[in-house]
Amino acid sequence: MTPLSDEPLSQAISVLLVEDDAPTLWRLQDALTRAGYQVRAAATLAEAKAGLAHGAPKVLLTDLQLPDGHGIDLIRETRQRFPDTEIMVISILGDEESVISAITVGATGYLLKDAFPTDIAATVRDLVAGHSPISASIARFIVRRTQNNPEPPPGPPLNTAKLTPREIDILWGIAKGFSYAEIAGHLGLSRQTVPGHIKSIYRKLEVHTRGEAVFEAVQQGLIRL
Amino acid sequence: MSEDAAIEAPPGEVRRRLQSSRLLQYVLLQVLIAAACGFILRQPLPAPPEKYAVTEFRLRQGDTERSVTSPHFASARSPADDQPTYSGRFTFPAEQPPRAWSIYLPRFTNAAEVAVNGVVVLDTRRDPVANRPDRSTPQIAVIPSALLHGGSNELTIRVLVWGPISAFLDTPYVGPDDVVRPYYDRRALLFVTLPVVFSAWQAILAVILTIMWVMRRHEPAYGMLAAAMAVGVLQAFLSTPLDEHRYATLNSIAIASAPLESGLVLAFGILFFGRKWPRWGLIIFAPSVILVVAGLIGGQASVRSLYLFIGTPTVGLCLVMMALISGNAVLRRQDAASILLGCAVTIVLTSWVHDMLSVLQIVPDRRIFFSRLSYSAMLVAIGAALTWRFARALNQVDSFAGRLVTQVREAEDKLKASFAREEERARAAALARERTRLMRDLHDGLGGQLVSIVALSERGNDASAGIGDAARAALKDLRLVIDSMDDIGGDLMLALGSWRERAMAQLRPHDIELDWLITPPGLPVHPELRPWHVIQIMRLLDEALTNAVKHAGARRITVSIGTLGDVNGLEQGCITIADDGKGFALAADGDAPAEGTKAGRGLRNMQSRAVRCGAGLDLTSGAGGTQVRLTLPHRFPDSEASG
Repeated sequence: MTPLSDEPLSQAISVLLVEDDAPTLWRLQDALTRAGYQVRAAATLAEAKAGLAHGAPKVLLTDLQLPDGHGIDLIRETRQRFPDTEIMVISILGDEESVISAITVGATGYLLKDAFPTDIAATVRDLVAGHSPISASIARFIVRRTQNNPEPPPGPPLNTAKLTPREIDILWGIAKGFSYAEIAGHLGLSRQTVPGHIKSIYRKLEVHTRGEAVFEAVQQGLIRL
Repeated sequence: MSEDAAIEAPPGEVRRRLQSSRLLQYVLLQVLIAAACGFILRQPLPAPPEKYAVTEFRLRQGDTERSVTSPHFASARSPADDQPTYSGRFTFPAEQPPRAWSIYLPRFTNAAEVAVNGVVVLDTRRDPVANRPDRSTPQIAVIPSALLHGGSNELTIRVLVWGPISAFLDTPYVGPDDVVRPYYDRRALLFVTLPVVFSAWQAILAVILTIMWVMRRHEPAYGMLAAAMAVGVLQAFLSTPLDEHRYATLNSIAIASAPLESGLVLAFGILFFGRKWPRWGLIIFAPSVILVVAGLIGGQASVRSLYLFIGTPTVGLCLVMMALISGNAVLRRQDAASILLGCAVTIVLTSWVHDMLSVLQIVPDRRIFFSRLSYSAMLVAIGAALTWRFARALNQVDSFAGRLVTQVREAEDKLKASFAREEERARAAALARERTRLMRDLHDGLGGQLVSIVALSERGNDASAGIGDAARAALKDLRLVIDSMDDIGGDLMLALGSWRERAMAQLRPHDIELDWLITPPGLPVHPELRPWHVIQIMRLLDEALTNAVKHAGARRITVSIGTLGDVNGLEQGCITIADDGKGFALAADGDAPAEGTKAGRGLRNMQSRAVRCGAGLDLTSGAGGTQVRLTLPHRFPDSEASG
């Protein structure tokens, strides 16, 4: 889904990388720096906020569990202050538990911590190019939430009411492992419009009330007070 | 054509038209029945040969004496009037051997005292049954042979009257006993035995209806009918009191209870046909109350005279109303019970009219009363109607019970299904909660440490690359376990979607292409699919992929997903992983490759995983590459089959 390319990358792209585990931080930083990104690293929430004070990064990559706070707060703040910044969660397992709550505050997809360096660079490049990656398991979680269950399945709360039937069809395609081209073929769309739909899905899943989001996060135990 | 007209006409008009045609049919039927009854009632009863009839009489009444012919109505109506005495003659042939002769009185009111040659041979007052003017009781008496002499003999009949009807004497017959008696017997059967049989019937019905009413208090119709029957029985077995004893008045009041009886039957009719009890309802019983009061004040005589003026019209009125009510019921309900009852009422009414005409001497006849007898027709009808209704009620109860059983069974099934669904949901929810917990634990602990290992290994020398691979493999497996525990609703395609992502991530560093071919509609949905099935299949696919990467040296791997139609029409999913690698030689048993023990172990693992899920695994390998073909079962096994 993320085609590889060896094209040189623009030097202007700044990345704020927030990760408290030092070895992981190094390898991610290495991978991005080698790909030509301008990387600012932060190990704590405070450092990250200080980093934001220097100006808006093009890309924010953040872990959720930070020693002095929660990545969710950082994502929300960045989203509000710098609407043009692309945000991604760094996740160990890519599980919906963390990824979905990040999506609801404005993140667009996730990056696995053990991804190969080339994949890390490619994912960030796609993100900057306006392609919002979405994994099959996340798509699966979202579409299963759109089904009318009397009792919502456990996991972070998610409001799928705004999604259109077409968007839900696209999510089904992704959940079942179809490529964008295949989905576009099935639904009679142009292949180029699929990423736009996915971006729109991300925006629709965002919760805009800060109090609501915090409350939900606390409810789900994502934020430990 | 007529049907079309009926559809076009407004519904009210259709109903009216239908009702008027029904009414016409019903009235025609009743007229026919009444005419048939009238015809039957006009038929003369068989009589003994004419030569034994005594028709010429001298009637002495008070001081007057005149010649009359029988049958004869005398004007006397009460004991206060002059009681008529009829004197006539008959011829007795002196023959050898002498035959017993009898005097046979077919009909008389109210009583007769018969004397032959001045000696009384029969006094009907001694027979209680014969004293009821409403029963056409015949009488017969053998004339002692000593009284008879050859030639002309004298016959004197004194008719005794106590009301309420006037004196009457039908033609008496004097003849050989063996000739006359059969005629007597026939009449006795009709007018004495039959009423007793009917009364017995009535008594039984009274008991049954009382029980019904006691058990079903909310149906007062049965109580009314039981009371009517009881009154009828009481009335039938009482005899007319001829002297002034203590209970004579009560006795005559009881005999004059026909208005009460008919009132009760009318009340039954009103209630039985589902009409509301009218406000004027109690008026039905007013005549009988008047009769009782009159009897208590004025004694027997007043009861008798009042009976004729109040009692009989009341009976008639009640019958007319009963006929109207049952006619209305026929129109409204169209059921067998109301038609039957309506016809019976018509028969009784016709008899009553006949009897009235006879009492008032408007139609000349032999003064034979049929009302009482035809009342039995009504009884038959009521008995039949009740049985019919009872049977229908039982049928309704049966069908209701049957419906109830079906409904209860359906509800039970639904409940079971919903219980099973609920259980399934609870199980899924428990699994999801457990998965969430496990995921957090792994995420917080093992996952982070593994990522650190990957990161650290990349910073070291070449030897540590193996550590990194192992740690990455461990992370991959961790993701697989968590992914498999997700509730995918039996759709294996959802699990394959995630697997494709992992596979692409795995193949990318090796520069191997992954072709993904899905033949619509993909795989069938398996509601019985459990997480452990998913893990087995995903690991099997992982091993096939790893074999292709590590041992075959493939450049392109093609995954084909589709559904096969079985010979039995059962659908089976099929996943094929084919590579363009160098392949390997299979052993004779097709189980493991001859070379490469590591690959061999991997293949054996795949086999055992397939067996555990009830799936079929086919391996084909050659110079063009290797193909692993996994045929999913139509239904996944509940428990692990031995691998």
